[in-house]
Amino acid sequence: MSVIIPQLSVGLSIASILLIVALGLAIIYGTMGVINLAHGEFVMLGAYAVWFLQTYLGIGLIACLLLVFAFVGGVGWLVERLLIRHLYKRPLDTILATWGVGVILQQTIRLSVGPELRYVKMPDFLTSSVHFFGYEESAYRIFIFVLAVALVLITYFLFFRTEFGLRLRAVTQNPEIARCFGINAGLTYSLTFAYGAGLAGIAGSLVSPLKSVSPDMGTPYVVDAFLVVVVGGVQSLLGTVASSYLIGQVSGVLAFISNDTMAKALVFFGVVVLIRLFPRGLFAMRVRRS
Amino acid sequence: MNSNRQAILRIIGYSIFCAAILAVPLFVDDAYLLNKFARYLVFGILSLALSLSWGYAGILNLGQAVSFGLGSYCMAMALKLRTIPIQTGAGGLPDFMVWNNVKTLPWFWQPFHSYTFAIFAGIAVPTVVAFLLGWFVFRARVNGVYIAIITLAMLVVINLVIIDQQSYTGGFNGITDLTTLTLFGIAFDAYSTATYYLAAITLSLCLFLGLAFVNSKTGLILQAIRDDETRVWYFGYDVAAYQNFIFCVSAAIAGFAGMLYTLVMEFASPTFLGVPISLSIVIWCAVGGRSSLVGSALGAIVVTGVQGSLSETPAFLDIWMLIMGALFIFVVLFLPNGIISLVDVIARSRARHSRDTAAEPIQAAKRSEAISRQSVSR
Amino acid sequence: MEGKNFLELKKIAVEFSGFQAVSDLDLDVAKGELRCLIGPNGAGKTTALDVICGKVKPKAGQITLNGQDITRLPEYRIARRGVGRKFQVPSFFRELSVRDNLEVAYCKRLGVFSNVVRFRRGAETDGLEKLAELVGLQDFLDQPAGFLSHGQTQWLEIALLLAQNSELILMDEPTAGMTSQETMHTAKIFNALKGRHTLVVVEHDMAFVREISDIITVMHQGKVLAEGRAADIQSDPQVMEAYLGSGGILHA
Repeated sequence: MSVIIPQLSVGLSIASILLIVALGLAIIYGTMGVINLAHGEFVMLGAYAVWFLQTYLGIGLIACLLLVFAFVGGVGWLVERLLIRHLYKRPLDTILATWGVGVILQQTIRLSVGPELRYVKMPDFLTSSVHFFGYEESAYRIFIFVLAVALVLITYFLFFRTEFGLRLRAVTQNPEIARCFGINAGLTYSLTFAYGAGLAGIAGSLVSPLKSVSPDMGTPYVVDAFLVVVVGGVQSLLGTVASSYLIGQVSGVLAFISNDTMAKALVFFGVVVLIRLFPRGLFAMRVRRS
Repeated sequence: MNSNRQAILRIIGYSIFCAAILAVPLFVDDAYLLNKFARYLVFGILSLALSLSWGYAGILNLGQAVSFGLGSYCMAMALKLRTIPIQTGAGGLPDFMVWNNVKTLPWFWQPFHSYTFAIFAGIAVPTVVAFLLGWFVFRARVNGVYIAIITLAMLVVINLVIIDQQSYTGGFNGITDLTTLTLFGIAFDAYSTATYYLAAITLSLCLFLGLAFVNSKTGLILQAIRDDETRVWYFGYDVAAYQNFIFCVSAAIAGFAGMLYTLVMEFASPTFLGVPISLSIVIWCAVGGRSSLVGSALGAIVVTGVQGSLSETPAFLDIWMLIMGALFIFVVLFLPNGIISLVDVIARSRARHSRDTAAEPIQAAKRSEAISRQSVSR
Repeated sequence: MEGKNFLELKKIAVEFSGFQAVSDLDLDVAKGELRCLIGPNGAGKTTALDVICGKVKPKAGQITLNGQDITRLPEYRIARRGVGRKFQVPSFFRELSVRDNLEVAYCKRLGVFSNVVRFRRGAETDGLEKLAELVGLQDFLDQPAGFLSHGQTQWLEIALLLAQNSELILMDEPTAGMTSQETMHTAKIFNALKGRHTLVVVEHDMAFVREISDIITVMHQGKVLAEGRAADIQSDPQVMEAYLGSGGILHA
């Protein structure tokens, strides 16, 4: 038992980071049908942004978060305006185009900042351990979990309880009709893409003290996040949350039993089998398709 | 008939291309250069394999490098076991195994003592892996976007596993220090004309067999699947079986290309199974022309050729990747059918122009507008 | 035409995320018959076709074709048993030529391997050209199907069904967007198909329906409201009410 609880909590923070990344990806895919393969690079940009702000401007991690959200969100905004909006009718081509964007972002960082690993400091007040039901738990990991929950709630509120969310859902269902009602679909898409990107940036900031920062750190995140969306079901917030924690925990446990690599492999096989049984994900809606 | 004439022109075009690549050793003496060219041809075969599944059947396999890498490792394992004892460790074990304290040769290495098995495995192993993945994924009827990501995920996973299991696979460094393959009395040294011809003949065979294949009924049905997968089920075809078939054929060809690559490079490495090379394959195919066998091959040859002639330093490579990323986006936005489609557009508007000068200029204008929107199947 | 029931639907129920699209649907179609399904929008007519061809699986009920239960079969197996379907939305292969479109539908051997060694433009060419002539597309055989006008694509889809040559043909609004002349031509084709083929047609154009059908089934809110010959259902008070009392539609 004394081994399981700490293990569960490591899994919890893995899952929380995964959730934040997957949330952004799911929002972009669910509303616009765009698979953003540059999403991993948005995570990477978030990490580098924190490193930069911390190293050159001395700003602490927590204070960075909002700045990073704005910065990476801004990059996302540009990407959508300049590129994605020309490719809405071609889903497979958006994968390619966003992959290209990811490459450009990665290479730009590699050529400007350099390929060496960078390190980000954890905020001092979170480095300690917290006593939790008799077990020691890293305060930082709890912070990540709390932030993930907060972001999910904010997203839920934004999408289901605000006018922006209503407009977004209208545009998702039927962009042409939505436009007839005066909704600016283009603006809605840009904001949504920026929001998703911003979330990825935050995930990158949060993970930066835990792992080193490098130009190619992003790719595993986009793949994992997409597997989460595939398992959870598109357009389901609950599905994304549930599947992040499922996959995160399973990964954590498997990594504990064998190692990281084998955990990834087993999770992958699991997802492939799961897809065969539930092609639309675990939480999908059934609609009449014409 | 117009389409017969098209077919003949196509065959002539392919023949000229094959004659050209087969003639290269007659003009090039430098063994180092020949080796480089052989590399480009191998990439051409790889790009062609992707075009079969992507351009013709609409299956975007972002993890094509898996088949490539598995094939190259099979050949490397066979060659490693025949590497003269001085380089191999005690008891006939490959050196990296000795360094990792492996005591006996693992069971899955044993059969690679035979070249026949190795060559068979180089094609069969990628095919079986593709078949298994395909059985799950195509039967599940997930959409094309999912398939792209799942193949990418598989690539990432297999890459990690191979690096992780270093006692069996040589890990990060791969399998190096290989002997030369000698079959039927020919030594396929990396810098020999024999190896170059092997690559050139393989590419030529793939081009013509591929051409025959896409003109078969199966090829037609796969193109229909690409256009409207759902509709094809209702004609009674088992679409998943067709998709899995082309997926496996593509994997088999890529596996063979992998074996050739080991011969050309004299080692096998996890980078052959990496994301960068898989991305490159997609770029070559997209730039050359995904729906054209010769186009996709040319895309690979031209892009890697230009890259090779400019520089090989790591610093340059980073800049080159940046340029590639930008080129990729450009092609996706403006030339979705690759550069070869330009050839086709020019040819068609020339043909139409001579026919339309007499009558119906409005019809002609409408047609040429539609032509530029139409995809090319070659 | 009387005979053992060729197509039988027994107590079919279909649900979409809580919404009952079809409930307790019973339908019996004899071999060689041409049955029309009519009804207001949302009556469940398209869903009924979806269930027969296997696009949608019913929550309850049974479908029998020629005495065999096809309820749980995947759609391609149902197609192989001799069912062909024309959809409401355009479904053909845009990048392929008209001829190639027809070849896909016409193919008799369906297996992957048997088709690898068979080439296009084989001996079937004659049959395909006649088919193209029947629907007026003989001049467009080598054009990509994406070039065709909307009306022409309707004809192409009908030609695809004819090429598939199924025993049971399901048509969803075949005359949508057609002129009255084209509609009459379609009626002629359908009448010629009767007997050798069994047809179930979903339609809104009452003149067309009267021209081709033997028995008409009226659906409303997922159930069968009335069934009979044109004259019978036109005077049925329930039917008139379902159409909002506007006898106008039935007399179109």
